[in-house]
Amino acid sequence: MIKLYLLLFAQFFHIGVFSFGGGYATLPFLYHIADKYYWFSQSQLTDMIAISSITPGPIGVNMATFSGFTTAGILGALIATSAIMIPSFIFVSVVYNILDKFKTNKYVISAVKSLKPAGCAMLSAVGIKLLFTSNLHLIGILCLIAFLISGFYKKQDPIFYLGISAIFGLIIGHLQWIGV
Amino acid sequence: MDKNFFTIFKTFFKVGTLLLGGGYVILPLLTSELVDKKGWITSDELCEYYALSTSLPGIIAANTAIFTGKKLLGAKGAIAAILGVTMPAFIAIILIASILSEITNIQSINYIFWGVGIGVIALLFFAVREMWNKCVTDKFSGIIYTICLILALSGKISPAIIVIFALIAGLADQFIKDRRLKND
Repeated sequence: MIKLYLLLFAQFFHIGVFSFGGGYATLPFLYHIADKYYWFSQSQLTDMIAISSITPGPIGVNMATFSGFTTAGILGALIATSAIMIPSFIFVSVVYNILDKFKTNKYVISAVKSLKPAGCAMLSAVGIKLLFTSNLHLIGILCLIAFLISGFYKKQDPIFYLGISAIFGLIIGHLQWIGV
Repeated sequence: MDKNFFTIFKTFFKVGTLLLGGGYVILPLLTSELVDKKGWITSDELCEYYALSTSLPGIIAANTAIFTGKKLLGAKGAIAAILGVTMPAFIAIILIASILSEITNIQSINYIFWGVGIGVIALLFFAVREMWNKCVTDKFSGIIYTICLILALSGKISPAIIVIFALIAGLADQFIKDRRLKND
């Protein structure tokens, strides 16, 4: 058990060090963990994202608490949430003292300019993989396409898409059109 | 209001409760609480902290809270701020996660989660588009994006390796530019 706690701490600490781009940037790491350790499944992660998007608090914190809890109960949640935060604490404390130098340093600017597209690319990969591994069926893919087209014109609140897709799932499920 | 551990905690707890969705919302929330209502900090300082937070690793809202807390009351303030902004999320998730395991054997709940999976993929692609618009702005960032996408799709490469690759590429790009300037 101690070994699990230590591993959990190490994994979430490393997410805190390497995730760039906020919000969903932790997801590529969490999917990688799901692949490697089987603490939680890919479909559990998808459920967690849905819930995290409509509960209070930053999504990154929600996801850390959720996956920590699923892995090892309340203590697991506490460990994962603090572990993802400790690197932030260290980075911010260092940068706070050299604020002006950090802001204008051209190597920092250039590194950030390269790290953000990397974060975006990894999140794209998560989306693409989910498209192929989720059990969407044709009807689900049609619904997704409708969301994407309407969203690219005018984006609504996350709760709008989750609400509609929840009702959609309920109706389609009860009609027995899909084998869930 | 007095600036002490408890009042800072309380303020950030409120912000954490109101914070729905991405961490991006923290800027308007903090502006309303800290600049308009309490006058603890200027709007310029807050914007600067937010901008810096997006350039650092980790959760943006957490980084912003640590910066602001540190400005208000040093390390003590930073701890109060981070505890405050995290706690609502922590409590909400623990409650939901505890209930969740009880209800997943209901068939209707499974149907709902099947449907919600579609919404989640849509949200991911919206987030990708938003990030893309902000960060893929020239040839260099386009190349980095493409290479990282191929790496991430190609199999079980750890995301950390991809991040380190991007970091090195960014530094190398600047280094080469410097060298060229020197030679000219």
